[in-house]
Amino acid sequence: MTEEVRLQVQDISKTFGITKALQHVSFNVNKGEVHALIGENGSGKSTLTNMLTGIYPMESGKFIMDGVEIHPKNQVDANNMGIAIIVQELGTLSGLTVAENIFLGHEERFITMGFRNTNQMNAEANRLLQQYGFDHIKANKMVDEYNFEDRKLIEIVKATYFHPKIVVVDETTTALSQEGREELYKHMNRIRDEGSTVIFISHDLSEILDKSDTITVLRDGIYIDTVKSKDVTEEDLKRLMVGREITGDYYRADYGEKISDEVVLSVKDVTVPGVIHNVSFDLHKGEILGFGGLSESGMHEVGKAIFGASYDREGEVVLADGTHINSIPQAIAHSIAYTSKDRDNESIVINQSIRDNIVLPSLDKLTRIPKLPFLNWAAIKAFALKYAREMSVKMQGTGQFVSELSGGNKQKVVLARWIGKDSDIVVLDSPTRGIDIKVKQDIYQQMDKMRKEGKSIIMISEELMELIGMCDRIIIMKEGTVSGEIMRNRDLNEHSLIEMMV
Amino acid sequence: MTDKILTKEEQAVKAAKMKLIRSLLPIAGLIAVFILFNILTNGRMISHMHLALSQVYVTMIAAMGVFFIMTMGGLDFSQGSILGISAIVVCYVSNYSIPLSIVAGIIAGAAIGAVNGYFYVRRKIKSFIVTICTMFLFRGLIKYLTTEAPVAGSPYLVMMDSTEFKVMCTAIVIIIGYICFVHTKFGTYLKAIGAGEKAAMFSGIRTDMVKFWVYVLSGAITGFAAFISAIKVGSVTSSGGNQLETQILIALVLGGMPISGGAMARFGNCVVGSLLYVILSSGLTMMGFSTQMMQLIQGVIFLLFVFIFADRKSIHVIK
Repeated sequence: MTEEVRLQVQDISKTFGITKALQHVSFNVNKGEVHALIGENGSGKSTLTNMLTGIYPMESGKFIMDGVEIHPKNQVDANNMGIAIIVQELGTLSGLTVAENIFLGHEERFITMGFRNTNQMNAEANRLLQQYGFDHIKANKMVDEYNFEDRKLIEIVKATYFHPKIVVVDETTTALSQEGREELYKHMNRIRDEGSTVIFISHDLSEILDKSDTITVLRDGIYIDTVKSKDVTEEDLKRLMVGREITGDYYRADYGEKISDEVVLSVKDVTVPGVIHNVSFDLHKGEILGFGGLSESGMHEVGKAIFGASYDREGEVVLADGTHINSIPQAIAHSIAYTSKDRDNESIVINQSIRDNIVLPSLDKLTRIPKLPFLNWAAIKAFALKYAREMSVKMQGTGQFVSELSGGNKQKVVLARWIGKDSDIVVLDSPTRGIDIKVKQDIYQQMDKMRKEGKSIIMISEELMELIGMCDRIIIMKEGTVSGEIMRNRDLNEHSLIEMMV
Repeated sequence: MTDKILTKEEQAVKAAKMKLIRSLLPIAGLIAVFILFNILTNGRMISHMHLALSQVYVTMIAAMGVFFIMTMGGLDFSQGSILGISAIVVCYVSNYSIPLSIVAGIIAGAAIGAVNGYFYVRRKIKSFIVTICTMFLFRGLIKYLTTEAPVAGSPYLVMMDSTEFKVMCTAIVIIIGYICFVHTKFGTYLKAIGAGEKAAMFSGIRTDMVKFWVYVLSGAITGFAAFISAIKVGSVTSSGGNQLETQILIALVLGGMPISGGAMARFGNCVVGSLLYVILSSGLTMMGFSTQMMQLIQGVIFLLFVFIFADRKSIHVIK
């Protein structure tokens, strides 16, 4: 492949208030390549692509595309120049039809005399959807009728139907199931083969190595290096990202440890209408039990069901002593902890201090005199500080608001809360979602520590590697039911799990 | 790379400074407004202080209830109507027994609060819509009950009207409220609900129950304020409690209350805010402004304070 430069990033800097997000970053992106952009949280990847796609205004430096300097003013402007983006979270607008979403900002081609020809627009959208092979999506339906995966597919069409020169894929894969990823990879390859460029952002290094041609590494807003994927290993990338050797074990190292026979929690015939159906299993003392599957397989609902947070749940969740768990306060009172996949809405009280977040479920034991409701603020502060430090939360103090923290640190605050509560059964739904390697490693180590202390952990994850690396036992879910169970062993690989998932 | 990058510590100092300004502004405003009006009225305000303060008791007590509601991210526009209905109940029952009339007023207020809470929590209607509806509904009822003549209370009622008594009542309510909000988990729970309701629920707070009972509590508190209001006048006319809800809202915002509630709410907001509002409005009256002019000035000040205190990051969570 000839190496023709598509985009020159020249001396780009950007500050947010007092934070330097990017400092004098320069590198080149070629035509016909998948160019990965990697770095830990806060390294400036998204800031850079957001400026390229007109979401953030530029500050200093230049983007030169095909020899011409560009200044995208907004996303539509960027689209017109041939730059599109697929984002991590939902990028389609509720309340609009599929066709309206696809052609958002580009309706003028269907407008005559001020009137929009909706039929023509729908027909064009349907043609595109068929061309992409997404026949099950209909142009005239509201996007709200489609699930997360399908809405991502709609975004793929929206971002690529006009054959843009550069497509940014910003951490889209973390939110997708294996199936959705495959679909996305297919289109990334197609875009590359057409001679266009994909800028690919992901935290998943094996995915990066597998799918990209060139990799640029950023660290703390500074350009580190650009390498060819075929010349490097995952270890090399980690070293470039973190700036030093990652020492110690990433996942658990032990194999062949016997699981205790003591059952701490039994789930019997649990059904949540429309989501999960007749799920039964036992959780043992000191065990890490994994749940894997596609994101729509119902595995996320299993966590909620155990925590008493599902609507209309049928069946039983019973502790070893015979207590039935039916509500969240009851679950917490009986030493069950839960962290949600939807961290910002369900795990953390976002506009509140680290301190209040950590002490919330433990307030009853932080009173001046036992049984009386008067709080002991000195004890509360000490409590919050102790557990925030234990989880090594990066913070200015426990009074800092969690909304100012990075994803990884938010997750650490959530874990600090439940470790402070001394929960015996911990349900972790996607604990490392969107979190960088270093914090991931901290979380894995914490899980291993808790396991050795005799606590039982349920780990629900879409990342098969971490399930294989961390769990004593993995239950695979498919279409709301249990489709298989695998014990921990050295020879386990992703493929055997995927077979059970799809 | 010679640009200066602020360190974490410097950032923290800057954030702390902003926080300090926000927390000091209402108190500084209170002192400034007080001095300003004393100069403008040639000291008439300070010599008629009891007159100015006579309006503060009802506002401050009722504002505390709304403070709880706003902390958890709700709003309440029905306070004026609650006060009117409760005052009618107090006056009516006082003809039989005065202690009983206090209880009856509180129950009446709590009942309306329960109506608000029911529609807000169980029927999932936004709080400002529910309370605007109940505001009109009960305002209508007040007008109906007072069509023929004002509802008169027992003559003994007005005999209880003394500054000492009212100060004592207000102080007791405020102190109890303060202890509950700052020194029990009640306040922390309310702030958590205001700052992120779903996450609060997943931390084990029974959010629906708390929300319902806070509306009942706020109604009950205003029901008690109705007693204080009734002993001042001795009867209730069709305008009883009129516009109290706006006064409370302005008072809280003047006191530095973020309109979306949450963790930035401070108990001092309702105390300082009520004082500031009363001094402002009585100062304007003493200077001889017309009612219309006063409304205009209050509107401008209200907008200004909302502008300063609005927590723009979380403004979308008003329920």
